Amino acid sequence: MRFKSTVLSGAIALGLAASPALAEKKIVVSGSGGGLAKVMTAIYDKPFTKATGIEIRRVASTNRVSLLAGMEKTGRVLWDVTELSGPEFPLSVAKGFVRALDWNLIDPDNRLPAIARDKYGVVAASFSTILAVRTDKLPKGKKMKSWADFWDVKTFPGPRALRNRPVENLEFALLADGVPTADLYKVLATKAGQDRAFKKLDQIKKHVVVWWKTGAQPIQLLSDGEVYYTSAFNGRVTKLAKSGTPAEIVWNGGALALAYYAIPKGAKNIKEAHAYLSALALDADRAAAFVKIVPYPGFAPGLYGKIPASMGKVLPTHPDNVKVQFKLNVGFWVKNTEALQERWDAWLLK
Amino acid sequence: MPAHSFRLLSLGIGIVKLLRSSDWLIVPGVLLLAFFFVAPTVEIALSSIFDEGLTGKHFERFATKGAYVEVFRRTLVRSVWIGILCVLIGYPIAYFIVHRSLRTQVFLMLLILVPLWTSILIRTYAWMVVLGREGIVNNALIWLGLIDKPLRMMFTTGAVYVAMIQILLPIAVIACYSAMTEIDRTLPRAAKVLGASPWKAFRHVFLPLSLEGALTSFVIVFMLSMGFFITPALVGGRKDAMLANVIAHNVEQLNWGFASALALLLLVATIIVIVVVRLLANRFVGVRSVGMAP
Repeated sequence: MRFKSTVLSGAIALGLAASPALAEKKIVVSGSGGGLAKVMTAIYDKPFTKATGIEIRRVASTNRVSLLAGMEKTGRVLWDVTELSGPEFPLSVAKGFVRALDWNLIDPDNRLPAIARDKYGVVAASFSTILAVRTDKLPKGKKMKSWADFWDVKTFPGPRALRNRPVENLEFALLADGVPTADLYKVLATKAGQDRAFKKLDQIKKHVVVWWKTGAQPIQLLSDGEVYYTSAFNGRVTKLAKSGTPAEIVWNGGALALAYYAIPKGAKNIKEAHAYLSALALDADRAAAFVKIVPYPGFAPGLYGKIPASMGKVLPTHPDNVKVQFKLNVGFWVKNTEALQERWDAWLLK
Repeated sequence: MPAHSFRLLSLGIGIVKLLRSSDWLIVPGVLLLAFFFVAPTVEIALSSIFDEGLTGKHFERFATKGAYVEVFRRTLVRSVWIGILCVLIGYPIAYFIVHRSLRTQVFLMLLILVPLWTSILIRTYAWMVVLGREGIVNNALIWLGLIDKPLRMMFTTGAVYVAMIQILLPIAVIACYSAMTEIDRTLPRAAKVLGASPWKAFRHVFLPLSLEGALTSFVIVFMLSMGFFITPALVGGRKDAMLANVIAHNVEQLNWGFASALALLLLVATIIVIVVVRLLANRFVGVRSVGMAP
């Protein structure tokens, strides 16, 4: 019994020693791991702790919807804040895994643009699937300006590439066919609209020599001159252009994808979580430091005044770029991917 | 002595016998295959017909929806052609090698083996460098003035054939070569001594004896082609997807039941073709044990 009591008193002593630390608040933030986590820790988390005294424990996570489902089931909610990207956000909202935010706590002066505010989430990052052009392959004196131009193989001859999936491409086809950005998903929700998109895609099909699968592919294809025009992720095109390949982004008609930060239902430190979201969304200085490393910015007001214009104009949330893009409706795709994917696969093989 | 002791004794004797003979050497192999091949295959077969209860929906989807049947047909036809072409190219190479001195043979076989040791992915990328719009072939042709616009060679069916044949050819050569080394070399010589022309000696003596190796090499190349995946995805166009690509795509989309059904169809088709080749070989060329030769 001696041993047991020693252990016990040791544990008590430890508990006492730790208690002053417990008095301070601590929140658990789940998000991407690896290099991005390091950047987030250095730029956001440490200054936040310094300013508020709220400690942050950052955990790397993937498959967040199933993890949230597990937390819901067991009643043990481990996160106070979590990143939700791609389909994770609309799925978590639909399943009721995240709580409605108190926007008065996050942005009391209403400084964020409407696109950055959701009832259930704060936009923390963004990337765009845009039309990328090898400018040296353009016909003399011509400039590609839209998806309609991408479809115009007479004025702009040359091999093209698109991503191998219906998401974004059906939107691009409708834009090329003259559907205004605001009506995209209204049209796409109907059978007639989907037929229209596929019919438009028929026109370009044989000029698309590669249907790419990973983000590195279109960049390699552009750099090798294997294709002249392709859809691609914005950050990679900027990198390619910096490395000396004459490549350019056409922002018009780009698909703007947003990544959110949200608060799981049942999270314990609601007030602190809101404070963290506020810092994440609003602090332009930190956002400027962030985009200098990672070209996937949020909407922090004043961000574009703090970085060089040349850098700002190739970012997806630059006001000029936001104006001409459409916001990828992930909710629509969560509902319709299965049926449209099958149709897409069959269409491609025909 | 009671009956059960007898049984125990005979079991003991059986085990001792097994350990004394060399038969037990097969046990690790059998266990390995049972756990890592037979069991997963059975599981795949089951998950293709059980999806929330017994169902034929995955096979129905294969038969009625999309372009799956067409992809399946294409995979089969392409694999047969690649098998045939690899044998037609590989057999003469093996014939050439086997008729060199032993030292030259070792050196030449090394040349055949080296590409085999290089990863398929790297060899496929190498083809992208060679066949690309601004690749070696196009640049050479333009520099020579033979063409003024680059030819489209990448992302075509032709590119898939070229790359797959290059990747699989060493295997065809090795299979042919190992069969040829077992041929008693005095036999063609005897035929010539008895007055046969070199062609006749080849046609009536060497060829029949080496046919087993040629058919084995067809079977191996065919089997490997049926499951090919990276190469068609990287150098082929949109119509060059093979069944393995469709399976991979469905695994990504979490349609595991359907992917299992496709995998099962691929396995069954491969077995059918191999059996048919064996039967035809027995019937028409009198070759036995195709696919079992080294």
